[in-house]
Amino acid sequence: MSVFNRTGLDKPEARVPQSNLPRQLTQESAEKVTELSGDDRRGFLKRMLSVSSGAALGGVALGGMGATKALAELSSEANLPPNVPSWTRTLGQGVLTKPYGEPSSYEKDVIRRTVPWLTADTISSISMTPLQDLKGIITPSGLAFERYHAGVPDIDIDQHRLIINGLVERPLIFTMDELKRFPSVSEIKFLECPANGGMEWKGPQMEGVQFTHGMISCCEWTGVKLSTLLEEAGVKPEGKWILAEGADGSGMARSIPIEKALDDTLVVYGQNGEALRPEQGYPLRLINPGWEGNTCIKWLRRLEVGDEPWYMREETSKYTDLLADGRARKFSFVQECNSVITSPCPEKPWRAKSGADKGEPSTGWHEIEGMAWSGRGSIKAVDISFDGGVSWVNAPLKGLVISKALTRFAYRFKWDGEPLLLQSRAVDETGYVQPTLAQLREQRGLNSIYHKNSIHTWRVESDGSVRNVQLG
Amino acid sequence: MSNSGKYFVGTGLIALALLSLSACDTGKQQLGDAASTATATIAVVAEGQTGSGIQYGFGRAVTAEEVAGWDIDIRPDGQGLPPGEGSVEDGEELYEEKCGSCHGLFGEGEGRWPKLAGGMDTLTHDRPEKTVGSYWPYASTLWDYIHRAMPFTAPQSLSDDETYAITAYVLNLNDLVDEDFVLTRDNFTSVEMPNRDGFFVDNRPDVSNPRCMDNCKDPASITIVESLLAATSNSDEEVADDVVENNVTSDAAGDNSVTESAGKPVYDSACKVCHSSGLAGAPIPGDMADWEPRIEQGIEVLYSHALEGFQGESGMMPAKGGHTQLEDDAVTAAVDYMIE
Repeated sequence: MSVFNRTGLDKPEARVPQSNLPRQLTQESAEKVTELSGDDRRGFLKRMLSVSSGAALGGVALGGMGATKALAELSSEANLPPNVPSWTRTLGQGVLTKPYGEPSSYEKDVIRRTVPWLTADTISSISMTPLQDLKGIITPSGLAFERYHAGVPDIDIDQHRLIINGLVERPLIFTMDELKRFPSVSEIKFLECPANGGMEWKGPQMEGVQFTHGMISCCEWTGVKLSTLLEEAGVKPEGKWILAEGADGSGMARSIPIEKALDDTLVVYGQNGEALRPEQGYPLRLINPGWEGNTCIKWLRRLEVGDEPWYMREETSKYTDLLADGRARKFSFVQECNSVITSPCPEKPWRAKSGADKGEPSTGWHEIEGMAWSGRGSIKAVDISFDGGVSWVNAPLKGLVISKALTRFAYRFKWDGEPLLLQSRAVDETGYVQPTLAQLREQRGLNSIYHKNSIHTWRVESDGSVRNVQLG
Repeated sequence: MSNSGKYFVGTGLIALALLSLSACDTGKQQLGDAASTATATIAVVAEGQTGSGIQYGFGRAVTAEEVAGWDIDIRPDGQGLPPGEGSVEDGEELYEEKCGSCHGLFGEGEGRWPKLAGGMDTLTHDRPEKTVGSYWPYASTLWDYIHRAMPFTAPQSLSDDETYAITAYVLNLNDLVDEDFVLTRDNFTSVEMPNRDGFFVDNRPDVSNPRCMDNCKDPASITIVESLLAATSNSDEEVADDVVENNVTSDAAGDNSVTESAGKPVYDSACKVCHSSGLAGAPIPGDMADWEPRIEQGIEVLYSHALEGFQGESGMMPAKGGHTQLEDDAVTAAVDYMIE
């Protein structure tokens, strides 16, 4: 509810509880004044003075037009027509006030978030992408989920080196400038932690799409094809595996089969048109399109060619998938076909955020929207169910459809306020259909942590709220 | 690459030689391109970037010495292991000094830090304990990881012998070697891990979900499992708001609690791991309730505890946080930074 309606001050008692008015004014004016400066501030304080005394002396009545104008400035309608907004009547900041631009201060809640109990500390931890606030398929670099095991190293690009050694004809060392002389490619690919969704094998517990699916990002990556570098070094015939190793304190390292390395693996220095962000591996990282994010070694310092895998910590103790019978899958590289609805979701309920019907369910037309992806190629189709998977309708894909990239789908739907069990189910170019959680559990049990790509269910309540549920 | 003309001639010839050897189909196309670059201009080279076979000549040969400094990986067959040895007995002492505060004196793991020992035969349990002994297939992984990444606050600080000793001790904690065992490069591959045959190569896709569109299941058969959070909450929107609010608040507090100073780099590299998380009772910068009683003792007391170590009811602080290589000035600057 706004403080004032369009007809003015004829019934102030109906809109502003009198006892609260002075305190409310004081609080709001204090906030307002901090945003002003110079003449603005003096003028504002002067007007506030008249309002305060008017309120104090007049009690119920609020005085003349001066007070009306000042209060209108405090109200949520001050910048709405027919009033002329404050930003129209003043000048904004000049160029280079912020030489590197940043989001509007009003977008302050669009940030990465973590789940504190997941890890022992923040140095070896993970934060998630705010999928609920993103549009299109590109994840802004500053919002891409981060995962590392010894903090973000502060690497001087001029002192960074990449060594290629092992079973090669010509062991080589490169500066970053030298790497950038090789022919480059730019490709849009998703990057996903295999633990995405892994907190929910045993049951739902995360009330937000940022936490159920936020260990994923999709960026345009620019760099050299790994095959180009390997040809430069000359892989010996017995070379069957590559060890990629990072320059961070964890020395993060993984074994990659030579077939992948020669297929589509990239050694990248660019992300969304600029240098990699430090959290994403500045100045150099590997991208294995469609594969577990942890294979995409950040702060890449070394590539060794060998005839066998190395069985590093992150491919034995971690990132192996324990099954119910006590055996575990190893080298489970591919991120299988997955999808999730991002609108609505627990963070974006079908309820009015403001206005006269604030908190009321938003019945009527909605565009249900979400994202799908597959590590095996392109998304072929996405289906949506409103009844927990009893029946499905096809949801058209939207925008670019790129192999191993996030792909948008959308479906226009007129909601009558009935509760829904909302699901999405993606199909990739290999014909693989995203499975149910029951199917995954039947094959793998409850303890495999990684690779939970099952159909996700949001329950839309009749009040418009959205909850994370699992169906049995 | 003294001049571009000479360079391109050179690469063209190398490409020619390589392609003659490989004689692959894709190479034949490239052969033409490469050959033309040998006598032509930069523009022609730019058109020749369609396939493999080019030697660009960027970078330089890496020396054996350079490789040796960075090539630290160890394989299950022992490839990569340096000469050296370490006993369980020496390992115990090193472990208690460098590892126990996180991993627990018996490898049981403090808080959410990894548990290293025990858990034998639990892999089929509801809550399996995946430790070095119960899960890891190869001892080489243990040596490699300790050497490359441990201790957490000082990676790549252990000598080869220290690594052998700590590896031996962790194996002993898992009852895999006796307490008088001395681990060496020569006997390394004789250590057999209990779960070495517990892994198999990825065989997914392991499920097949038909793309049914109608009457896919009986609506009456659907049961709904809610999250604990939702079940205990009056309003889901409040839950979402709480999550947002808490994060925003804690982020802001973190930003306000510290400002740039000379002590920051020291803090970041030597103090942060404990002091940012409160590990071992370490006071967290910006937490005034934590710091006030300490600051009241006077700055000299704070300096002396940081330099010489401290053991008390509130927690323990090793001398210089275990980073004895630090100059005293660096440590006191870090203290200043933390209480600013």
